[in-house]
Amino acid sequence: MSGIGADRLHLAWVSSAEAQRFVEVVTDVSASIHEQGKLDPDRFSLQLAAAEDTLSGEPLRWMVGKEVQITTKGDVYGRQWDEASYESIMDRTLEKEYHKNLIVQAIKDGCQMPRDISARIGLDLQRVSFLLTDLEKARQVEFKGMEACKPVFAAL
Amino acid sequence: MAEFDPKIVAFLCNWCAYAGADLAGVSRFQYPADLRTVRVMCSGRVDPLFITRAFKQGCDGVLVAG
Repeated sequence: MSGIGADRLHLAWVSSAEAQRFVEVVTDVSASIHEQGKLDPDRFSLQLAAAEDTLSGEPLRWMVGKEVQITTKGDVYGRQWDEASYESIMDRTLEKEYHKNLIVQAIKDGCQMPRDISARIGLDLQRVSFLLTDLEKARQVEFKGMEACKPVFAAL
Repeated sequence: MAEFDPKIVAFLCNWCAYAGADLAGVSRFQYPADLRTVRVMCSGRVDPLFITRAFKQGCDGVLVAG
């Protein structure tokens, strides 16, 4: 989602007796990274900062921590959740939190108006405005007033 | 241009992949030397944050093996 490419992260299962398998995995990973070339972290600084804020933020941490309890015993309202629907809600939350954090990062980076933010992070204007209202309620950004008929925001 | 020398952080489970890597070493198998190994007691110990931080600090790839 952050645009650095899913192929830069590899996950593999290697048992302690499988030295040959380990060598294969390492060779494949190394070849794949060689093919993709160098990763420039400065190009993705906003995205990586937003990803870090999202993953360390409360909503996601809570949802991951409560998953087993909610999918096996139901939530506090007595509703039952199967794993698939819980995961889909978790994905939606992840996306929303990530976009919100990306907006905050863009504002910190000097963008003030929704149109600038939208252009900077490549998210459509309607979504940016919608999430800005959310961020304002959560006191993460502040509405500073209008400038040439355009709203101006600042990060808190 | 100098040859690209990637930095790959590998989180290896002490009981599985780390032992596998050890065995590969003992058995004298050849494999690429691009890995920077971090031994963890279980691959469940790897927090997604470790991975974003690795990328932030300029790693070109991350491998989690358990």
